[in-house]
Amino acid sequence: MNGSPNFGSGCSFAPWADPHEKPLIRFDAVTKKFDDFVAIDNLNLKIYEREFFALLGPSGCGKTTLMRMLAGFEQPTTGSIMMNQEHLTDIPPHRRPVNMMFQSYALFPHMTVEQNIAFGLKQERRPKAEIKERVEEMIALVQLQPFAKRKPHQLSGGQRQRVALARSLAKKPRLLLLDEPLGALDRKLREQTQFELMTIQEKLGLTFVIVTHDQEEAMTVASRIALMEQGKVVQVATPREIYETPNCRYVADFLGDVNIVGGHILGPDDKEEDIVQLAWHEDYAPLRVRLPQPVTFPAKGKEMWIAVRPEKVRITKDYPTDTHNILKGKVLDIAYTGNISTYHVRTEDGQIIKSQEANLEHLHRRAITWDDEVYVHWRAGGCVLLER
Amino acid sequence: MSNLTNLTEVTDLLTAGEPETPQRPKRRSRMVLPKNFGRCALILVPYVWLLVLFLIPFIIVVKISLSDTAIAMPPYTPTFDWAGGWASFKEMVGGWDFENFTWLMEDDLYWKSYLSSLEIAFVSSLLALLIGYPIAYSMARAPAEWRPTLLMLIILPFWTSFLIRVYAWIGILKKEGLLNMLLMHLGIIDDPLTILNTDLAVYIGIVYSYLPFMVLPLYSSLEKMDDSLLEAATDLGCSPFKAFWLITVPLSLPGVIAGCFLVFIPAVGEFVIPDLLGGSNTLMIGKTLWVEFFANRDWPVASAVAVILLILLVVPIVLFQRQQEKQQEKGA
Ligand SMILES: Nc1ncnc2c1ncn2[C@@H]1O[C@H](COP(=O)(O)OP(=O)(O)OP(=O)(O)O)[C@@H](O)[C@H]1O
Ligand SMILES: [Mg+2]
Repeated sequence: MNGSPNFGSGCSFAPWADPHEKPLIRFDAVTKKFDDFVAIDNLNLKIYEREFFALLGPSGCGKTTLMRMLAGFEQPTTGSIMMNQEHLTDIPPHRRPVNMMFQSYALFPHMTVEQNIAFGLKQERRPKAEIKERVEEMIALVQLQPFAKRKPHQLSGGQRQRVALARSLAKKPRLLLLDEPLGALDRKLREQTQFELMTIQEKLGLTFVIVTHDQEEAMTVASRIALMEQGKVVQVATPREIYETPNCRYVADFLGDVNIVGGHILGPDDKEEDIVQLAWHEDYAPLRVRLPQPVTFPAKGKEMWIAVRPEKVRITKDYPTDTHNILKGKVLDIAYTGNISTYHVRTEDGQIIKSQEANLEHLHRRAITWDDEVYVHWRAGGCVLLER
Repeated sequence: MSNLTNLTEVTDLLTAGEPETPQRPKRRSRMVLPKNFGRCALILVPYVWLLVLFLIPFIIVVKISLSDTAIAMPPYTPTFDWAGGWASFKEMVGGWDFENFTWLMEDDLYWKSYLSSLEIAFVSSLLALLIGYPIAYSMARAPAEWRPTLLMLIILPFWTSFLIRVYAWIGILKKEGLLNMLLMHLGIIDDPLTILNTDLAVYIGIVYSYLPFMVLPLYSSLEKMDDSLLEAATDLGCSPFKAFWLITVPLSLPGVIAGCFLVFIPAVGEFVIPDLLGGSNTLMIGKTLWVEFFANRDWPVASAVAVILLILLVVPIVLFQRQQEKQQEKGA
């Protein structure tokens, strides 16, 4: 509450870390069933004031259902949703200080762009001049000035999406729910709008919950990300935490690219005591993982997994001497995506390990090419150990 | 023209009963497929239909309306004699005049009939709208698996003869009829009400008979409506009742207009209902026309009445057409 929510400059905005901070929204053991189908499964979640909270997850995992419960269109089957110590479930949708941008836009087809945006403001009976001013501001924000007098059926998909966004923003609600707000926009406009959203959110001190399928977008805008799977929240953390220290293979795999190697715990390393060894193959040396502080060693013989991001995996032709986690293999494929190249290496025991390198020079001649014998390796501190 | 649009309208309505009709636009585009010849033939069919079944009979009626009555067979003069050829045609045209139309202006019976028909049709449309809207609305809100059944129930009366259904109302409305018996039995009234042979009975008959024509287009426009629009409205701070006025009603307006025209247009020319249920002083142009034709055997005046009626109806029909086209342009 006290600090400014300026995520970029490293200034601390972390109400979730403060045990005295009261959440704006609180889900307590919320379950939502459609007949027998469990869409939301015993979910607990806290969202704090002034957060930009991102919901991520595969299609059908319950993101929209969660938002619809916040907006009031669905009632939880069991459990409670609180907003500022008040039971949200008792408040009908039109009295909630919550606005939602619908995934299907739900624009009123018989109203122009302007009228659509003004609709919510008119319901509040604000003065005409204020409504006009706010509508113009919103239209300018989504860059729809030439289309203000058009009806939704005369707009393109992206333009409709922007109208829906402007309409939900117009009332500047305490809690704004954005269900895939930028999916239909081109990259440039999307980045611009992301930036605008962040500015508005910060400036007005609003709380946003956003659903997106674009991880980069979630990482860019969000203060925290909740990753969902089949009606459950698997991990809630800041973008950096969720990327660097995922709590399970599902999270590691869902966000970005990852290499996963399974094995059994062998025991602590003889030299460094925060490093644990994992036996992964009888013919090869064990892999080493640096554990986070405070160190708690997992039980010996336990089946666990190592996750390492491709950009943390180096690839060399010569045997590296300065590292421990070394696998030998053959280059199977090279994917060139402009700024980086991704090498797919098949190790001797048949696993595929991906390694990413920045393309520092023009690629006239590659040092490493198809079918080369190579070593892929990473540092003990560059990977994480996962229980499941 | 209205025949054709009504046909497509009705098929549209029938398909609208099924929850999803994604193949509908496809069917249209297939119509365009045939090569030029096929396309011309296809366009020709409705025009031939119109020519044979509408334009030619109408020209004959206009011709009769310009003639004079005669005690002959057919009962008017001049008639065209095929053997006489061109000379006979010229003679016939020479015998035409607007006498019958002047007569219609002079005798206020006709004007009163027209006005009273328009009034009855207008009030009936309004009543049908008031009764039909809640029916259509609750049908559209009913669970999807129930809707085809409800739609069927609305169409069901068409399976019995129109005449029989109107006759049945005599049994209900007459002095010793079902309605009076029921009301007296319940102790609401002591003496039987006179409903049969009044304008009230005509209103009841027309509203009852044409209600499906109101309900079907209303249902089709209400059913198309996306529920998330109402959710969006309430989300933006609109109470459910207000959302109904601001969203549901405007979006069902095309259905309201279509329904009103579909009731109004046939109701203006209605003959059976005022004849069977109405009283001797119920004036409706259809009844007047019938009397001219069959009681007075004055074919020319009756034809003139029919021509004027058609001209009166052309205005709403054209308006209806316009509205339909606009609707189609929007792509719904
Ligand atoms: N009204 C409903 N009746 C029955 N099942 C429903 C209903 N609404 C949603 N569901 C089911 O609940 C699950 C979650 O749906 P939801 O719309 O929340 O998914 P989502 O995470 O938003 O997916 P997407 O990313 O595709 O939008 C889905 O499996 C869906 O089929
Ligand atoms: Mg969704």
